[in-house]
Amino acid sequence: MSDPHLVARAEFGEAPRNGEMLRRDRALRPPASTPTRRQVLSALMLVPVALTGACSLPTSSSRAGLDPLIALADRARADAALAAAAVAADPDLAEQVKPLRAARAEHAVALDAEVARLDPGAVARTRPPVAADADDPPPRATLTRLREAVLASGRAAADVAVGLPADRVGLVASVTACCAAYGALLI
Amino acid sequence: MRDLSSTPAIDKVAIDALQDVLSAEHAALWCYSLAVAFLSSARAEQARSDTEAHRELRSKVAQTLTEFGQRPVSAQPAYATPQPVEDGLSAAVLVVVAETDAMAAWRSVLERSTLPELRQVALDTLTATTVRCARWRAVVGLTPEIPVFPGRPDPPR
Repeated sequence: MSDPHLVARAEFGEAPRNGEMLRRDRALRPPASTPTRRQVLSALMLVPVALTGACSLPTSSSRAGLDPLIALADRARADAALAAAAVAADPDLAEQVKPLRAARAEHAVALDAEVARLDPGAVARTRPPVAADADDPPPRATLTRLREAVLASGRAAADVAVGLPADRVGLVASVTACCAAYGALLI
Repeated sequence: MRDLSSTPAIDKVAIDALQDVLSAEHAALWCYSLAVAFLSSARAEQARSDTEAHRELRSKVAQTLTEFGQRPVSAQPAYATPQPVEDGLSAAVLVVVAETDAMAAWRSVLERSTLPELRQVALDTLTATTVRCARWRAVVGLTPEIPVFPGRPDPPR
């Protein structure tokens, strides 16, 4: 498949591209008076869909000073380990569970990197030196349990995401969406 | 987190993000309308259901922009497809492209706004879009079916 970002391009020479149209709008129409918080609420609450579940406002940084992404990275590792345990318990699951395991491992790497970007020593300080991949698999490592775990991880990421600064929210939003999608699609 | 109740509820950057989302939703609707003619009946059914979801999103985003005193960006008369659409497979590929662009636009709303309510809607919609995208990626045979970092631009790999 080729570059997946080529769609929004006008075919007709006359029509402005989206960007141009936006710029023209800006020139013609300076921002209207600032809408109130209530207006935003009334307008946006109409937008449907809530697969990630109800999330209260950020409880991030709950423990003082601890980067909330550390807990999300730990969850990612735990989900990857649980996926491995589920396959160990039932090898027939290997094909189905492999992408989830790989995704959660990638999430852990990316979240660790983001934690380290802000505080290079944080991960070493807060994580026990024992490897996260436990030697003995947790009991009942079933597909159902894996699904519950990844859904819970998605909710945890969603709770954190909404309160994060702009340069971190995208990563955690992607982790949220990926986990929630696995929860929705993993039978 | 900053107390937003005493500051402007939404700024120009967030408005632009919503306009970009609207552009992506316009494009997605156009892509589905083209694709559906080439899809088998079961997949066409899925496409119609997804079309309804996008139609609703487009309507709500446009309404939101209007309530903010902005003119919602219009749809283009047509869009260039990355590949010619001539059968069920290429139609599904086009839908994957449209959903991928939509994921990027919704994720960007999170990055370009600070309002919790708006961010929550964008997060929920990013998730719903990821699920739709994953179903079409499965049709096309792309792996992993569920993107590892939905909406992330230019994956560094």
